[in-house]
Amino acid sequence: MQKQLNKLIWRRHRRLFGLIGGLSLLVALSNVVVVLHTLSNENNVHELVSNKINQWQIYDTNEFSAYSFWLYFAFWMLGFVLMNTDLKDNFNQFLFSSGFTRRRVYWTKLGMGLGAAIVVAALTIAFQCGIFWVSLPASVGFHLAWPGLLTSWASGLACSIGFFAICWFAALIIGQTGALAITVIGFSLSLTGVMNIVESIFGKTGMGLNSTQFSWLWAGISLVAALILFVWGAYLYPRLSLEHNGEYLLFPGLKVPVYIVFVVYVTFLNAWNAADGTSAVIAFLVSVAFGYFWLWRPSIMAKWHERRSRS
Amino acid sequence: MTLEVKALSKQINGQSIIDDISFKWAPGEIIGLVGRNGVGKTTLFRTMMNHYVPDHGEVVVDDQNLAQVSVKQREVFFLDTQYNFLSNYSLKELPDFFGIVYPQFDRQRYTELLRHFDLNAGSQYRRLSKGMRALVNVILALTSNATYLILDEPFDGLDVIVRENIATMVIDEVADQQKGFLISSHDLNELDGLSDRVLLLKESKLVHDYNLEDVRASAKKIQLVLRDKTIPDVLKAHSQLIRVSGRVLVVVITDYTDAIDQQLRALDPVLLEELPLTLEDLFRANLAHDTGYQLLK
Repeated sequence: MQKQLNKLIWRRHRRLFGLIGGLSLLVALSNVVVVLHTLSNENNVHELVSNKINQWQIYDTNEFSAYSFWLYFAFWMLGFVLMNTDLKDNFNQFLFSSGFTRRRVYWTKLGMGLGAAIVVAALTIAFQCGIFWVSLPASVGFHLAWPGLLTSWASGLACSIGFFAICWFAALIIGQTGALAITVIGFSLSLTGVMNIVESIFGKTGMGLNSTQFSWLWAGISLVAALILFVWGAYLYPRLSLEHNGEYLLFPGLKVPVYIVFVVYVTFLNAWNAADGTSAVIAFLVSVAFGYFWLWRPSIMAKWHERRSRS
Repeated sequence: MTLEVKALSKQINGQSIIDDISFKWAPGEIIGLVGRNGVGKTTLFRTMMNHYVPDHGEVVVDDQNLAQVSVKQREVFFLDTQYNFLSNYSLKELPDFFGIVYPQFDRQRYTELLRHFDLNAGSQYRRLSKGMRALVNVILALTSNATYLILDEPFDGLDVIVRENIATMVIDEVADQQKGFLISSHDLNELDGLSDRVLLLKESKLVHDYNLEDVRASAKKIQLVLRDKTIPDVLKAHSQLIRVSGRVLVVVITDYTDAIDQQLRALDPVLLEELPLTLEDLFRANLAHDTGYQLLK
């Protein structure tokens, strides 16, 4: 039974996995080519990877990144597309009457999606190192060490899974692709604000964290958040009823909670980072108005069209 | 072996679309589901198939609830004609999906039927005409070899020849009593000679469940030419007027008895002959006033 479901999900999404994998390798290749081009113009003898790679710290320089920034985006994109395409292409209809329980479908799809993302990340990293290995000029040394690599991979992977989970969950509850993209891009960008808040909270409590500790904290938070979102998604997925496909929220019962969370989140984020009362009030008013329009806009627009057609 | 729909209800945006629908369906039956556009035929199918989560009720196959014993879903085939995933695939790729879900899926017959209907296996589903898509949907249903096959407006867009071919295949499929069909249509002529039972949906509810054999056994369609233009009392009391043209009347008498026959002959009509009774006639006679059938077409 499980084998059949694996086969079905694989058959359905193998093109997507291939596309993201191919794109990822292409981005890695272009990054490496840029670095190689820069190096070929320099004649000084040096190491591409500094001694810092021997420390249990995240290694990331302009010339060599142990975990490329692109990989965060690859995970982000996979989480988004994997859940959204099945809704938009009406594959959910087939899955929901396929004889597999929805819970099994959910976990299988999640497992395969995360597995594919990890394979893409591993291949991209191997590809990047492999090209450096064979293409670096003779004057440039290339020596890697486990401490820096393992730290970078573990931290990068944890944060990537967090991004995957955010998009995966958002695509599960949001039924409009454009609105979903705006929502997750907005939320992902707002996380830099959250990072500032967390950093300053630790600073104010006298537990100032260095950059490595902060990266680990962030990785830990990402993993915990991902776990919560995955489990919450597993609860919601069997309750997904497809008549709401095309509406902003696929679960109408979430409308009010989402509205409250949005207003509180935006107000708090702005109030903390701006640190003045006026900004907080403005952020509150804007989020109240925008959130209301965003969540209830179909009926607002319908009423507007109705009034316009009457006049 | 039976499929039973028990008190199934579904509301969408606060509006009741199907309300307390119950019926039984056994292999060997071809059931027609009729009702006006928007009455909830497709919503009933979608709710039965777990696309929509029902507000109340359940679908039971061999005493096992489909919502709880998911594997039983494989005994029921339904392909949503409006929302399906086929658009991104070529016809030759489709068995790869359906073959996984329906263990008895007949790939060889699928290929043969594509060839029989001059459908190119390499064609993308989305590039097919509306009629060709409908044909592919029916071919997938037939080759799935599921026990219960739900076809939503299957003849929509098909030409007469293909329609007859499909109807013949459907009848052949049920001959060995191993499969049953539930076919929705808003055009009763499509179901004529095909269905042996008809369910009528009206205002979200299942208002009638007709066994056509029983109805046909007692009903007659008569053409009469009377000597004057007055409609006799016997017709007013027992018949439903289908057509009037001068002194020529076409009527359906749903409960035709010897007594009525004698009364009609006593009128000494110029002509009294029996006409073939269609499904449409039956529904006009039975339901003209209380089903809104006159608005079906």
